[in-house]
Amino acid sequence: MDTKAFCAKLDEVLDVPPGTVQPGQALDQIEGWDSVAVLAFIAMADTEYGVSVPAKEIPQCRTVDDLANLVLRQKA
Amino acid sequence: MINPLQLANKTILVTGASSGIGRATAVLLSQLGATIVAVGRNATRLEETIHTLEGSGHHAMVFDLGDLDAIPGWMAQIVDQAGPLDGLVHSAGVGSLAPLRVLSMTEVEQVMRINYFSAVALTKEFSRKRMHRKDGSIVLISSVAGVVGAAGRTAYSASKGALAAFARSAALELAGVGLRVNCIAPAYVRTEMYEATRGSLTDEQLSALVAAQPLGLGEPLDVAHAVAFLLAATGRWITGAVLAVDGGYTAQ
Repeated sequence: MDTKAFCAKLDEVLDVPPGTVQPGQALDQIEGWDSVAVLAFIAMADTEYGVSVPAKEIPQCRTVDDLANLVLRQKA
Repeated sequence: MINPLQLANKTILVTGASSGIGRATAVLLSQLGATIVAVGRNATRLEETIHTLEGSGHHAMVFDLGDLDAIPGWMAQIVDQAGPLDGLVHSAGVGSLAPLRVLSMTEVEQVMRINYFSAVALTKEFSRKRMHRKDGSIVLISSVAGVVGAAGRTAYSASKGALAAFARSAALELAGVGLRVNCIAPAYVRTEMYEATRGSLTDEQLSALVAAQPLGLGEPLDVAHAVAFLLAATGRWITGAVLAVDGGYTAQ
C-alpha cells in the first residue's frame, strides 16, 4: 500500500489540509478523529480500497499505521 | 371464517424480490393467493425466491432497475406475459453510509436512481390504463431514515424521503382512476442490508441502534404483513399514507 496516498485519503476523511496526517501518527493526537470520521474512514476504505472494514476493530487502532494495516488485512 | 387479506386472482409485481423485505413480501403475498412477478438483479437468488413461493404461475424477471430508460418497454412485456397488474411493491433499494466529506456525487446519483427514480418510472408505467386492473395498489418501501435524520445517511435519507413525498402527490393524482399509493417506513429489519450495515458499526453503536427500537429489531415478515394489508381490500380507504412499521422508533 502507498502510505503517502493512504495519509492523503485520511486528510480527506478528517477534512484537514493536505499533508496534515503523517505515517505513524497517533490517532488521539489528530483533531477531528471522531465518530463521523470513523464512518468516513469506513466509507473511504470501501470506495478507495474495495474493503469492508469492521467498525468494531477501529477502537483498537492507535496509530495511522494501525488503520492502514486494518485495511490491508481486509484485502488479504 | 373470513380472510380480509386474501389476494386470490391478483397479480403483483415485487421489486427487490431476491432478498430481505422484498423476498419475504413475495412469499407472503403468494401464501395469500397472489400470482407474483418477482424482480431482482441476481438470477440465482431470484430463482430461490420463486421456489419458496406458494402456488404456481409465478414469474421471475431478472432486471436492473437502474436502467430507467428500459423500464417502459420491460413493463409492457411483463403485462403481455402476466396480464394487467393489481399491485406493485417497490422494495428494491441500496444502502449508503457515507458522511458528506467522502460522499461522491456518483454514489448520490446511484442511490437516487435505484431507490427513488426507478419507483417513479415503475409507478408511471403501472398507472397506464392497459397496465393495471381496477383497484390497483402501489406500496413503496421507504424508511424511517426518510422521516428522521442520521449522520452519514444524507443520500439514503433523501432517497427514502423522496419516496414518501412522491407517494402523497401520486396518491392524489391517481385517486381518480382508482389507484392507491402508499409508503411503509421500516426501521432496522434483519435483512442482508442490515447485516452489511452491522459491519460498519461498533458494538456500542449497534446496541444503541437496537435500543432505539422499543420493540427491538424487526423481521422481514413484519414489513411484509403491512404490505399485504395495504395491497388487499383492507387498505381500500388508505392512500398517500406513510405507515411506520418501526418497532416504535419514531414514536419517541
